[in-house]
Amino acid sequence: MDRNTIKDTGVLEQYLLGELSEKDAIAVEQILNEDQELQTYFNKMEDDMEQMAFENAIAPPTHIKSDLLNSIKNSETVSEEGVIPIQKKKKISYRFAIAASLAALFLASSGWFYNEWKNTKATIVTLQKETTNLQDRLVTIEGDLKETDKWYQAINNPKVIQLVLNGNDKSPTSTAIAYVNHQNKEVILNPQGLSKLDNTKTYQMWADVDGEMIDMGVIAQDQEMMIMKYIENAESLNITIEPAGGNDHPTVEQLISNVYL
Amino acid sequence: MKDDLVLIKKLQNQDTQALSRVYDLYSGAIYGVILRMCKDESLAQDLLQETFMKIWQKSHTYDPDKGKFFTWSYRIARNITLNSLRKKDTLIQTEDLSVYKERSTSEAEKDITQLEGSLKKLEPHHQKALELVYFNGLTHREAHEEMDVPLGTFKSYIKQALKKLRESYKEELVIVWIIIEMMR
Repeated sequence: MDRNTIKDTGVLEQYLLGELSEKDAIAVEQILNEDQELQTYFNKMEDDMEQMAFENAIAPPTHIKSDLLNSIKNSETVSEEGVIPIQKKKKISYRFAIAASLAALFLASSGWFYNEWKNTKATIVTLQKETTNLQDRLVTIEGDLKETDKWYQAINNPKVIQLVLNGNDKSPTSTAIAYVNHQNKEVILNPQGLSKLDNTKTYQMWADVDGEMIDMGVIAQDQEMMIMKYIENAESLNITIEPAGGNDHPTVEQLISNVYL
Repeated sequence: MKDDLVLIKKLQNQDTQALSRVYDLYSGAIYGVILRMCKDESLAQDLLQETFMKIWQKSHTYDPDKGKFFTWSYRIARNITLNSLRKKDTLIQTEDLSVYKERSTSEAEKDITQLEGSLKKLEPHHQKALELVYFNGLTHREAHEEMDVPLGTFKSYIKQALKKLRESYKEELVIVWIIIEMMR
């Protein structure tokens, strides 16, 4: 087919309008591709047709454009949600389920561990306090034991003489116990049995040496055991009531108890 | 009008902004074609949307070496409209698949679809021939029957009409050129 035949048959017009079959259209395209002059002729025809269409343009209603853009947006989201292979989606949701379960498990266990940790911490604090308490108590008990042991050793010695000082008419309910160790030159007194005195008075202990009363010390009533002064060659032990703070000489009228060694 | 190849490239890369721009450029001309073909405003609006949907989906198949973007879009619009009219017709008349046997270009609808521009300056038979194939979507075979002239005659009508059109556009260009020259 030569150039002029093509022009005369009107096949180019039919091609432009899209009237030709696919086979014929491809043939025309091939001819146009090879024939520059025919191509230029066709381009002019296209320009004219386009201009004619633009001269006869009719403005469509404005909503069509927004409808178009919306439906494209929707079809895109639909294809993202729906058309993308279901298998893939399943895979995602399966993996997601595993991940979610693991996350939930981790979260739950984290919570549990956190609680446990808090509990443990509280327990440790309590235990530490208790330990400190026990340590303190142990120190106290050890001290007490040492004290008790000391007194026990002091009074349980076979060399120790135990003397009971009973109250006379002036203080009939009073009792005190004295432990005397001549070897170690020690005197220990348990004053717990003595009657209570008011704050202005105190008990005082004396040793009788050749008729002379020698001070052995003021008796502190709040102690269970106390060490008194050991006096050589004492013949008897005596307890008097004296003004608070003690006296240089015994008030013999206030003698409440005495015992001979 | 020269094709904006950058814009078309963007459209082919599924850029919705490019589609919006392409729509602004071509929708009027394409709607003019569709409406003149189907002569039903509501249907024409649906078909215009369908056409641009297809332009959007098939844009990657457009090859600038084979023709102008408008020619390509025109063919899509023409096919969609003809298919729609054919479906409509088959629902009514099951036997006859021809689109325009009963549907001649009636005078009553001319007011909406009246042709404008250089086409109006053409002789009536040239104008009619172009209108039938270009704006009414008839094949050359259908159109020559519609005009009741032999196919060869009809083809020469089209050829002459296009030649006249070209000349009138040339004249317009000269006038525009003169105006531009005078304004300098």
